[in-house]
Amino acid sequence: MTLLRASVRHLVRHPWQAGLSVLGIALGVAVVVSVDLASASARRAFGLAAEGVTGRATHQVVGGPAGLDERVVPQLAREIGVHPLAPVVEAWVGVEGAPGRTLQLLGVDPFSEAPFRPYLGRGAGTGTRVLGTFVTEPGAVLLSRETAAELRVGISGTLVLRAAGRTHPVRVVGLIEPDDARSRQALRGLVVADLATAQELLDRPGRLSHVDLVVPAGAGGERLLARVRAALPPGAEVVPAAARSEFVGELTRAFDVNLTALSFLALLVGLFLAYNTMTFSVVQRRATIGMLRALGVTRAEIVAAVLAEALVLGLVATSLGLVLGVALAGGLVRLVTRTINDLYFVVVVRELTLSPAVLAKGAALGIGATLLAAIVPAAEASAAPPGAAIQRVVLEARARRAAPRAALAGLAMLATGALLVGVAGRSLVWSYAGLFAIVLGAALLTPLAMVGAAWAVAPPLGWLLGLPGRMAARGVVARLSRTGVAVAALMVAVAATVGVGLMIRSFRATVVRWLETSLVADVYVSAPTLRGGRGGESTLDPAVIARVRAAPGVEAVGTYRGVRVTSPFGPTQLVALGIGPRSYRQFRFLAGSGETVWPAFQDGGAAIVSEPYAYRHGLAVGSALRLRTDRGERAFPVAGVFADYGSDQGVVMVSRRTYEANWDDRGVSSLGLVLAPGADPEATVAALRVRSGGDQDLLIRSNRALREASLEIFDRTFAITAVLRVLATAVAVIGVLSALMALQLERARELGVLRVQGFTPREVWRLVLAETGLLGGIAGVLAVPVGIGLALVLIHVINRRAFGWSIETTLPGEVLLQAVGLAIVAALLAGAYPAWRMARTPPAPALREE
Amino acid sequence: MRAPAPGVPLVELRGVTKAYREGDAERVVLNGVDAAIHRGELCVLIGRSGSGKSTLLNLIGGIDVPTAGEIVVDGLPLAGTSEAARTLFRRHHVGFVFQFFNLIPTLTVEENLRLPLELNGRRRESARARARALLAEVGLAGRGATFPERLSGGEQQRVAVARALVHEPLLVLADEPTGNLDLDTGRQVLELLDRLTRRSGRTMVMATHSPEVVGLADRIFRLQDGRLVEVGESVAG
Repeated sequence: MTLLRASVRHLVRHPWQAGLSVLGIALGVAVVVSVDLASASARRAFGLAAEGVTGRATHQVVGGPAGLDERVVPQLAREIGVHPLAPVVEAWVGVEGAPGRTLQLLGVDPFSEAPFRPYLGRGAGTGTRVLGTFVTEPGAVLLSRETAAELRVGISGTLVLRAAGRTHPVRVVGLIEPDDARSRQALRGLVVADLATAQELLDRPGRLSHVDLVVPAGAGGERLLARVRAALPPGAEVVPAAARSEFVGELTRAFDVNLTALSFLALLVGLFLAYNTMTFSVVQRRATIGMLRALGVTRAEIVAAVLAEALVLGLVATSLGLVLGVALAGGLVRLVTRTINDLYFVVVVRELTLSPAVLAKGAALGIGATLLAAIVPAAEASAAPPGAAIQRVVLEARARRAAPRAALAGLAMLATGALLVGVAGRSLVWSYAGLFAIVLGAALLTPLAMVGAAWAVAPPLGWLLGLPGRMAARGVVARLSRTGVAVAALMVAVAATVGVGLMIRSFRATVVRWLETSLVADVYVSAPTLRGGRGGESTLDPAVIARVRAAPGVEAVGTYRGVRVTSPFGPTQLVALGIGPRSYRQFRFLAGSGETVWPAFQDGGAAIVSEPYAYRHGLAVGSALRLRTDRGERAFPVAGVFADYGSDQGVVMVSRRTYEANWDDRGVSSLGLVLAPGADPEATVAALRVRSGGDQDLLIRSNRALREASLEIFDRTFAITAVLRVLATAVAVIGVLSALMALQLERARELGVLRVQGFTPREVWRLVLAETGLLGGIAGVLAVPVGIGLALVLIHVINRRAFGWSIETTLPGEVLLQAVGLAIVAALLAGAYPAWRMARTPPAPALREE
Repeated sequence: MRAPAPGVPLVELRGVTKAYREGDAERVVLNGVDAAIHRGELCVLIGRSGSGKSTLLNLIGGIDVPTAGEIVVDGLPLAGTSEAARTLFRRHHVGFVFQFFNLIPTLTVEENLRLPLELNGRRRESARARARALLAEVGLAGRGATFPERLSGGEQQRVAVARALVHEPLLVLADEPTGNLDLDTGRQVLELLDRLTRRSGRTMVMATHSPEVVGLADRIFRLQDGRLVEVGESVAG
């Protein structure tokens, strides 16, 4: 206990050092916890929303793009004797006057609901009279009491819902109040209408989204399912109700893994920091430790004391990290939700789910990482000979001798990392393990590189700054046991910044080039969707299409229909393209050539698939892609693989003719207009806005505007990556501040002697800043090749495996310069306080210390 | 014993008081100290631990400033002088020898000696020649490329003595220069210090507990209860 007290007192006496380390580790923990909490909250929100809709259904009968014909319900009930079953219409709708607020519209038959969603029948005004109104009054809806309160609407109040660009006033006729909290949560964000009302609101007369079934487990259930399957029309199928949530999990898996990996990068930097602090703390007390050993303290007790000190540090840092993490998650959850909405599906996350498991994981990681980081310093401390403290010069000589060995180990680690990356196959986890091995390998190479760099820069630095310059270069190597770890930590963090920065820049440049070729029409017209990205499942009013076609200046119109169909690979984004040869150049084929692809596509019933789709499902030109159509499952030959960055899940395209031959849906999601030569796109957009005026809101955008909007979505998608990058850098900067500051403050006596010798405050500044600047410069320069290596792995391995995209690498000079600049500025900043303090403090107190 | 040095004293202390705050209390270490030290004198300061010997040396060297009173060295009133001016004063005119050597660990022995010369604007080659000559004089020729921590305590203190004199300062201040050395080594260092300062006619003030030093002194001062009392002259000289 006394030993621990001595250790803790040491931390208290070095508040800057201890405080900055705590902050660094806390930030690392906070980043991991916040990312985890944000993802978990989004998943939970989706799960609850799905639960609200799915209720107790075990299976669902689903149809093709146009949904199910409602006549399937009596057929199943009467002919097959399926009971219970409930027809459902569902869709996401916006709320007028509440921007950004979306509700899930659930159209149900109240008489079939009891076995599925019993909570719908509970609450104020759900008695027989209200039920009558609900069924008979057009536009009657039910809301949960909480949702009604949030939207500030009561019974008999009116809400205006927005679906596919149209607005519909509805009247709240009752409030639902489920008994249990979970159902209450599941119902938040749900607006319930009678089936007919919902069909009318969504303009889907006679169509259903799905029919819910409760199928008992066991052989009887299987037999029932077989009978149902046999009776269904060709385009329909039975799927387990959980398939929807599973698909969502699969959809965002790569996104989640990437976020988690980035957050671990922040923790890795935090780990370096903890290692640095503990090493430093041990080195500072080597005399005390020697004395304790002389007094009879055993090696094991020394190890225990150092680990206990780390535990105290870890506990404080982790507690702070958890609090910070929860605060950070509040902001992060918005970014995660936005990205999921842009790229994957509609989800509304209203609150942060404080999962105890996530918090426990964060705590375990924080404390575990700090303890792990303390193992080597603890072992070093226990090796101190009793009595005479190990001489500093011996220690440093040992560090210098260890540098080549560390470099060899680093090379081995680099090779292991490269091997892991190479043989990881499609495993994202192993790819990241390889990436982390490469980072660690580079960190181990750092001390030797520092010795070389200090040797090389000593003459020019001496020439430039005189004695302080030479002393600075010498100091870098003379204190290698401490500078080595600090520079390695800074290098890792800056390399991560460079790697992620280059990855984003390369990706963006590739997307910009892709948009330039893929957006060939002059004007695009679509109905607004709730999803930011290529949602495209809204349907344009045929009257609007006719008016647009007839507009002056419009020379050709291409049609685009985006729907989701099922395939043996799961739900697949299918696009029906109605375009002419003038629009062919928007496709860049990675497999197959235009001459062979287009005839097969237009007239041969072939499909083309995007690169991520082909990559995910192992498809190539000539493969047969099976899709469920309204005529049953059909095989479509793959004629080509094209470059596409619109969706990481990938997309399948067929011609409009092929689509209409296989699916009954005749809807069009958007139009691409080619204007007559000389027509001004912006003027045409303005004219179309006037001309197409009707009851459907339209998004009419020029090529340029759509391109800008697409890039905006791209930037939004990477906003979270950028935030994590900034946080990882912040952890590193704090780490370096702590390490370098402690390093310089420890020199108080030496600097005091220099002041006695006649070093002016300005010369002390010069010396300290030259040394920290040199450390920063070395870290920055080393970070460039390591960062480029990381970028190459991220671009060509991780991205490819996670999303299936091939990205062209770009190496913008300013990203690299920024990296070196960042490292030097961080290091100079770290030197500023000690330099200021030492220059300002009279030398006498510095000499009195010790 | 030396004849009293004529002319203006090199160091004049007039009513020098130095107090430190310790919590709410104030501890007076020096209380109205007066003294005059002439050029070429070797003065020894004796007194118990904590009597203020180091403090007085720090004040004379311009490392610290008095709470009250005046300190004039070579005509420069240190108490009223800026920190920057005191730094330059130290750089040009003072050489220090400490109990714990205080060599710069990241500089080699020769570089430690070149440091004051380069600070005084000596050209590199000339500084190198001077440093090597002095190293030979203190018996450490050939050890110039070694780092201080590789040397024994006595060797380190010899380097410190050489460093204090290398730039030919007006005044050498030595704070317990033998306090960290064994008897024989301490004696050798003292002889060296005495020889080099006397030969070059430098003035030296040395704080010590060592009775050996008392024998070398021109004048002996005792610090007791914050007061400085000249207790007599040495038998040396």
